[in-house]
Amino acid sequence: MMRARRYAILLSLCLVAPFARAAAQGDPRLERLDEATRPIVVGLIDSARAVGLPVNPLVERALEGAIKGAPGTTIASAVRRLAADLGRARDALGPGASPAELDAGAAALRAGAGPDVLTRLRRARGHRPVTMALAVLTDLVARGVPIDTAAKAVLTLAAKARDEDLVDFRRAVERDIAIGAPPAAAASVRVNAAAREMRPGRP
Amino acid sequence: MTLGTSSRAALYAAAWWLLAARGIAAQTTATVDVGASTVRYDGFLASGAASVTPAATWTRPGATLIARGSYLRFESGHRSLQGLIAASLFTPPALLPDSWRGEVTVSGGGSSYADFASFWHATGEARLHVVGPGRGAWMGATAGRTSYGSAARPVAVAGIGGWARHGWLMLTASASRSFIGDTAYTDVESTADVGAGAWGLHGSVGARISSRGGGHGVYGAGEATRALSQRIALFVSGGRYPTDPVSGSVAGRYLTVGVRIRSPTPRRAPTWDPVQRGRPPAAGDGEATLAPQIEIQPAGARGVRLLVRAPGASSVELAADFTDWHPVVLERVLEEGAWQLLLPVASGLHRLNVRIDGGKWIAPAGTTRSADEFGSEVGIVAVP
Repeated sequence: MMRARRYAILLSLCLVAPFARAAAQGDPRLERLDEATRPIVVGLIDSARAVGLPVNPLVERALEGAIKGAPGTTIASAVRRLAADLGRARDALGPGASPAELDAGAAALRAGAGPDVLTRLRRARGHRPVTMALAVLTDLVARGVPIDTAAKAVLTLAAKARDEDLVDFRRAVERDIAIGAPPAAAASVRVNAAAREMRPGRP
Repeated sequence: MTLGTSSRAALYAAAWWLLAARGIAAQTTATVDVGASTVRYDGFLASGAASVTPAATWTRPGATLIARGSYLRFESGHRSLQGLIAASLFTPPALLPDSWRGEVTVSGGGSSYADFASFWHATGEARLHVVGPGRGAWMGATAGRTSYGSAARPVAVAGIGGWARHGWLMLTASASRSFIGDTAYTDVESTADVGAGAWGLHGSVGARISSRGGGHGVYGAGEATRALSQRIALFVSGGRYPTDPVSGSVAGRYLTVGVRIRSPTPRRAPTWDPVQRGRPPAAGDGEATLAPQIEIQPAGARGVRLLVRAPGASSVELAADFTDWHPVVLERVLEEGAWQLLLPVASGLHRLNVRIDGGKWIAPAGTTRSADEFGSEVGIVAVP
């Protein structure tokens, strides 16, 4: 049974890859890569397309490297890593995840979120997109909030919050950090017993 | 004013606090408030005072430790020293349903008003929080001991509270009943916090009622904070607060103007690449940033308006995933030093960089700056 499945995947890759390669090579955006890097990136994108991953984020990551003058090997490894993250994000979010959700999921995984966090977010959001929840999670981590705290905060909000609520929450945390709150505390329960001692100016 | 030994010690402690914080755990944040106050304790004459208040907060997922000291020197030459350590521990996520969190806090502190009195207290508090989108509530109980002079008295407090956030506004309301030895009183209090951009406003109003030995009356305070950079903020605060028999603070009125200096924000990179190890600090790593700065504003059917403030620039370009990393030249707007671009941008997380006068691609302030995988930085923005 397993062997038959492997053969089927191999066969489908053989059938799809030539068409996919033609499609990737036909993407005029990739002409901005140098001649040595382009075929490597095209190969990576072909492989990603063959297994049903969205390729636009991969093209964009390669173009970001190109505009910043990164060496071809660095660009290729960045694209390879992103493809792997997109695959992990799809495993966690399910096959029905949209390209935007997979892109946001890959960023969240790269930030340190575990696949289980993505799965729980998917479950908590139901049929609503998880893109913004994942974006806010990743943004909080980049601001210095520990991943566990950020994940807990976003998961707590995810079930009922609208995307606008999540963006408001992120702004509130950003402002609290700017005026002196530690990132973890800013994203945690906002009225904790210890924090009330911290008002400035009272003699 | 001549600095005495205690004043110098307080300043050295404040400096150490700020410097040492860089080397401790990534989630340690330190602040020092330096202020000038006029204060009038009930039953005393008004007095000017200078204050130095170092504080450090150590946080990890589910736990917070706060240490705070305060040194006050009055114009009479008298001094007051206060210290507090408080630690909060939250229950692990798996222990309670998603919307519930338990919290246990222990707090210990002391204060000494030179030539007047000394206090200490040690308390423990348990709270149960329920948290929803933009609102929450808690109930809690506190027990412990407090001492004025040599006689320690038992402390017992029961309290409930709630909070709600709507956009820039956050409101809280709480009520507590306290028993300290023979003293008993009820406090009701509400607070409002408004934050917009670099400004933060805080107001509180409360009343002490049903009091036996704890005083009566209405109290309230206001505070405005203006962040000048990521590490420096100015504040002005004032109001009236009630006697706190637990910590030993005496009721009084005050007005304080000061500056808050904080340690750099710990920053984590969402991407990791071996080539990034040993990277020298990039511009803006926890430091004050002058320019350029980007704002992303909704622009209706036209998508979003990307507004870059770059005083003195001759040209501003932007490259992002939503431009396929093609440099796009921004147009100058009437506002001095401002440049804009109107684009349809899909909701989600986006990566962008800007370039001033054909220089290096940089991550502007107003984004979450992170190491990219190409040896530089990228700005990350969440577009609703």
